[in-house]
Amino acid sequence: MAEALSHPPAPTADTGDQTSLITGSEAIAVACKLADVDVITGYPIRPYDTVMQYIAKLVSNGEMDCEYIIAEGEHSQFEIVKHASACGARVFCGSSGVGWMYAMEALTVTPALRIPMIAMVGNRALDDPGAFGVEHNDALAVRDLGWQLVWVDSAQEALDTALIAYKVAEDRRVFLPCAISCDGAFLTHSQAIVKIPSQAKVDRFLPRYDRGDLLLHPDNPITVAPQANEDWLMEIRRQTAAGMERSPGVIREAYAQFGKVFGRDYGNPFYQEYMTDDADVVLVGMGTLSNPVRVAIREMRKEGKKVGFVRVRWFRPFAAEELAKTLSRFKAVGIIDRDFSLGAPYSSGVLATEVRAALYPVANRPPLVAFICGLGGREVTLPDVRNMSEKVYAAAAGKPQPSTQWIGVRE
Amino acid sequence: MAINERELAELVNLHSTQKLDPFKGVKKLPVQEYFTSGHRTCQGCESALVMKMMVKAAGPRTIVLGSTGCMYVANTTYYSTAWVVPWMHTQLGSSGSAALGAAAALKALMRKGKMKDEPINVIAFCGDGGGADMGISAISATLTHPDYNCLILMYDNESYANTDIQLSGSTPWGAHTTFSPPGTKKRIMHHRWKKNMAGMMAAGHPECRYVATVDMSFPVLAMNAVRKALTIGGPTFIHSLDPCPKGWDYDPIQSHELGELAVTSGVWPLYEVENGVLRLLGKTRDIAEGRLKRSPVRDYLNRQGRFAHFTDDDIEYFQSKVDEMWNKWLVPGVIPFRKQVEEDKPPAQG
Amino acid sequence: MSRLFAVEIVYRGIFQKKLAANISRAIVLAAHREGKPGISFGRYGDSPERNGIPAKYFAIVATDETTLEEGMARYEPKEVDVTICVDDTLFKGVESWAWYGLQPINKLTKAGGTLIVTSLKEPEELIPLAHRKQTPYKLAVLKGTPSFSGLWVYKDDHTDVRILGVIAKVLPELFTLRSVQETIRKEWKNELKATSAQRAFERIGAVTVPAGQGNPEVPYSFEMPKWTEMREGIAIPAIPLGGKMKDPVTGEEGGWKPGRNAVFKKWATRTMRPVVDFEKCIKCTLCWLQCPDTVFDVTPDGFYDANLEACCGCGVCEAVCPEAGCITMVNETQFKDNASQWEAWRKDAPSYQKHLADWIKDRPERSHGFRFRGQYEQELPNEFARQG
Repeated sequence: MAEALSHPPAPTADTGDQTSLITGSEAIAVACKLADVDVITGYPIRPYDTVMQYIAKLVSNGEMDCEYIIAEGEHSQFEIVKHASACGARVFCGSSGVGWMYAMEALTVTPALRIPMIAMVGNRALDDPGAFGVEHNDALAVRDLGWQLVWVDSAQEALDTALIAYKVAEDRRVFLPCAISCDGAFLTHSQAIVKIPSQAKVDRFLPRYDRGDLLLHPDNPITVAPQANEDWLMEIRRQTAAGMERSPGVIREAYAQFGKVFGRDYGNPFYQEYMTDDADVVLVGMGTLSNPVRVAIREMRKEGKKVGFVRVRWFRPFAAEELAKTLSRFKAVGIIDRDFSLGAPYSSGVLATEVRAALYPVANRPPLVAFICGLGGREVTLPDVRNMSEKVYAAAAGKPQPSTQWIGVRE
Repeated sequence: MAINERELAELVNLHSTQKLDPFKGVKKLPVQEYFTSGHRTCQGCESALVMKMMVKAAGPRTIVLGSTGCMYVANTTYYSTAWVVPWMHTQLGSSGSAALGAAAALKALMRKGKMKDEPINVIAFCGDGGGADMGISAISATLTHPDYNCLILMYDNESYANTDIQLSGSTPWGAHTTFSPPGTKKRIMHHRWKKNMAGMMAAGHPECRYVATVDMSFPVLAMNAVRKALTIGGPTFIHSLDPCPKGWDYDPIQSHELGELAVTSGVWPLYEVENGVLRLLGKTRDIAEGRLKRSPVRDYLNRQGRFAHFTDDDIEYFQSKVDEMWNKWLVPGVIPFRKQVEEDKPPAQG
Repeated sequence: MSRLFAVEIVYRGIFQKKLAANISRAIVLAAHREGKPGISFGRYGDSPERNGIPAKYFAIVATDETTLEEGMARYEPKEVDVTICVDDTLFKGVESWAWYGLQPINKLTKAGGTLIVTSLKEPEELIPLAHRKQTPYKLAVLKGTPSFSGLWVYKDDHTDVRILGVIAKVLPELFTLRSVQETIRKEWKNELKATSAQRAFERIGAVTVPAGQGNPEVPYSFEMPKWTEMREGIAIPAIPLGGKMKDPVTGEEGGWKPGRNAVFKKWATRTMRPVVDFEKCIKCTLCWLQCPDTVFDVTPDGFYDANLEACCGCGVCEAVCPEAGCITMVNETQFKDNASQWEAWRKDAPSYQKHLADWIKDRPERSHGFRFRGQYEQELPNEFARQG
C-alpha cells in the first residue's frame, strides 16, 4: 500500500533564518518552496497571481523542484492539483474573485474527497462589475463545503500560516483543504520585511504528505468516489464533518509546535486580541483592515475611549464557543464585514451573521452591531473606524441601532 | 542562434512509458480482466466493452480516472465498483485535467525520490458530453503538454446517456433524444452535425503524438490503439464510437453488428495519426482503397429507433453528408476542408 | 372510511419504461375520475434506467388528500395492494442495484394482495419461480408475450390497457372498469383499446397462492455499516483480480476466472440466457472478447463458460459466434439455478447435450426492442392472437 512512497530524506543542516522584502504573495511562494510542494497549477487573475509569477521564477532558477502547470481555466487548474494530491503529491493552487468562482465545481468536490489542498485566495471583489480590490466573498463562498478558511494580515503571517496549513490539512485526522486569504492589494502587492525560516526548521516541523490507504496507486487498488445514494451519502458527509470537528485540536497542536520550532508564538490560533484587556467595546474583523483599526484604536485610547479589536484568523473551523466567551466580556461588539450577504438575517454580512449565531446561546450576550465596510477595495479609513466605534458605544448605552449599517458609502 | 537538439531534449522532460507491444490477434490476448462483471450497464452496452478492452490492453500498472457519465454511474454505483485497477471519479468536464494531474504527480514524486520509479499508465476517460462539449478545453490543454504521459479516451455513445439521453455536440443530425423529440411542428429538432472531435484534436495539437478513432467491433485494432497511445509518450487521445442500445433504441443483440455497420457505411472512419502521420485502418482503409464499397447508410439508420421518424428525404440527406465526407473532404473522413464551397441542402421541415 | 391504495409495476428498465409509465399514470387518472386523488412516480433510485435492469413504478391513490400525504415524499411504499409484473422472468427475482441483492417479485405485495403478470405460462409453472411469502397472495396471469419496446418507439400492443382492465377486476375499490374505459377514451381516444381493457377484465382469473408456497431461498439482506465503519475519503476496495479455474474431473488448473463484484450480480436482468454447445465450439474467443459484461470464464481446456451469476442476457455472444448452433439464447424461466454449463458438460457430456437440446426448444421469438423500422406493426397481429 504505502510501499509506493519512499522514505523521507535525511535532515538538512540548519542554515538559520533570512530576512527578505517580499509581498504576501511572495511569502506564500516561499512557503511552497520550503514545503517542497510537488505540483502547482496557475492561471492568471489579479491579484493572487503574483504568487504564481514568483513561483515561476523559483522554478526557472532551480530553487524549486515541482511540476508547474499553467491551466486553461480555473476549473481545470483546481482539478489538476486535486488529482495530483490524490496520487500523493503535495500541491498548491490559488485564485481570486470570479476565478475562484469558475473553479467552484472543483472546490466543492475537493473537501468531500478529503484532499488536503492548500490554496491562496487573493481576496478580490466579485464581478460584476469587474473590480480587483479586496472583498472577502470569494473565499467565503466555500464556507459550507469543508474548506478550512484562514485570514492573515501580514506577509509574515502569510508565510507562517502557509506552513501551518500544510501541517494541519495533511494531518490524517483532518485531511481537508485549506484556503489562505490575503487581501488584494494591501497584502498581495505590498512588500514588507519577512523572516524566512531555514529549510532545516521547516523539515523538523512539516512531515511528508502520506495519503496512506487512500493513495491512488496500483499497489493500493481502490475505487474512489463511486456514485452513492441516500443510503450512503449521509454517512459520507458525517465522516467529512468529523474531519472538520477534529480540525481545531490539530490547529492548536500545530501552532504550539510552530512556536517551539520557529520561535514565533501566535498565541490563540483562532483569533488575535488587541487591547481587549480593559476594553469597553470591541470591533471584530478579518484581514488587513486590522491596520487602520489598530491605529484608530490607539488614537481613541488617547481620548479615553477604551476600544479593543478582535481579528478573526480561522473562519473555518469557527471557534464559536471561545469567541462567544471572549466577546461576552464587552458591553457591545461591532462586526466589520468586508463582504456582503444579500437577504441574510438583518441584512448583515457573513461574519456578523456567524458571530451573532455564536453568541446566541450565551445568556449575557452583548448587543451586536453589524457593519459593511471597505467593499470593492475601498479603504477602511480612520474616520470610518471612529464612526463604527461611536455606534458600538451607542449600542452599549442602550440606544437603538439599526442591525446593519453600511459605512463609507456615499449617501 | 538556433536552439540545438540537446537543448530541445532538455526542455521536454518525459518520463519513460511501459512498452506495450501490439496484440497479434484474438488468440494472443491476455486472459486477465481489470474491469469486470457487476456493473449496472444496459444489456449490450458497448461503452462497457470499451472499458474492459481499454484496461485489458493497458494492464495492471494503470490508474484510471473516470469522469461523470454512464461509465461512472453505471460502473461504480451505490458504493460498489467493477474495477480491479485503482480508479477515481472526476468531474464531467475534467478528464483532461485529471489525466494531467495524475501524470504530473507521478512524475514529480518519482523524480524527487518520494515514490518508487516505474512507468504507470494514466488513463482518463470521458463520454462525448463530458469530452467534446464541457471538457474540450481541458482535453485540448492537456494535449499540448509534451511532458506528461497520459491517455484521454472519449467513449462516444452520441448523447448524454447517463441522464437518460440528451443531445450533445456529438449527437448525429436528426436523432431523437429527450431534448430533441420529433414533434408535430418540428420533426427534426436537432439539426446540428456531429463534431469532428478526433480530427480536431489531431489537427489542433500537432505536437500530440497519437490520436486515433476506434470501434469495439474491431477489438484488436482498438486495443492496439490503446497500447500505442500508452507507449508512445506524451499526452494522447482516442475516440471510440459506441453503439448504445438505450439511446439509439435497438435490440441489444445488434450491438456488435451496429458497430461494424458504422464503419462499413463510412459513418465512422477508423484511423490513427501517429507522430503526425495519418493512417486509415481496417475496413476504412479498404473503403478508401476501393476494396470495399460503403454500405448504404439506410441499413445503419433503419435499425435504430432514434431515427424511426426519418423520412426518405432525411435518409438521403444523411447519406449525402456521409458521401460528402468521403468524396469532398480534403482528407476523407478526417479533415473537412473543401476546395470549393457547396450549398448545404437539408430536407424541408414538417 | 379513509384508505391508501398502492400499486407497483415491476418492469424491465427502458424496454418497458413507457409501458410502466402508461399504466401508472392511467391508474391515477382513472381513480381521479372517482374522486380519489393520487400520484404516480418511478422509483427514483432506478434512474437512470438501464436496458433490462428491473425497475419499479408506483401509483399511490387515496380516498382523500389528507390520507394521500401518507404516500408522499417517499421513494417507495412499504406494501402494495397490487403488484404488476410485466415480464414473467422477473418472477425469479428483482435485483435493481448493488448491495440490495435479489429481492422477491412479491416482496411488497400485501397479505391477500394480487400479483398480476403478463405471461404465456400457466400459474403452476410460475408460482415455483417466485420466492415464497409468509402470507397468501393472489396470482392473476394475463395471457400474452411480455411487451418490450425501447425509449423512442413504443410497441402499442394494448398490454397497458389490458392490465388496467385486470386491476379493475382484482381491486374494484380502486376503480371500476367504466372509469378505466373512460380514461382510455380520454387519454388515447381509441375504442379498440377500451375493448381490450374490457376483454381482459372479463377473462382474467386469479388463483390463491397459499403462504409458504414458492422458492424457499431466503432473500439477501445485510446490515448497512455505520459511518465510523466505512473507510474515509469515499474509498472502497477494488475487485480482486481473480485466478485460475479448476477442471471438475481432472483437477487441472488453468484458464481464468475473473474476480467479480460481490454486491451486484446482474443476472436478474436477463430474460434469456446463452447455452453453449461445447462440442461445436471452435475456441475462436469472440464470445469471451465481445461480451460487455465479462461473463465468460476461460476454462483450463480453452473453452468459454458463461458465468450465469453475471450474464444479463444481451445476446451479443450468440450474434458474434461464427459456429451455427454453438451459442443459443434460450428462455430464462426454464432454469432454476445458475450452475456452470461447462462443469456439467465435463462431468457428463451426453446428459448435458440432452439438456441442451431441451433448452433450445424453449426459445421464444426474441422481443427485446427495436430491430428495424415497422417491426412492432408486423408483430402486432401475432400478439393480438396470443392474447386471444
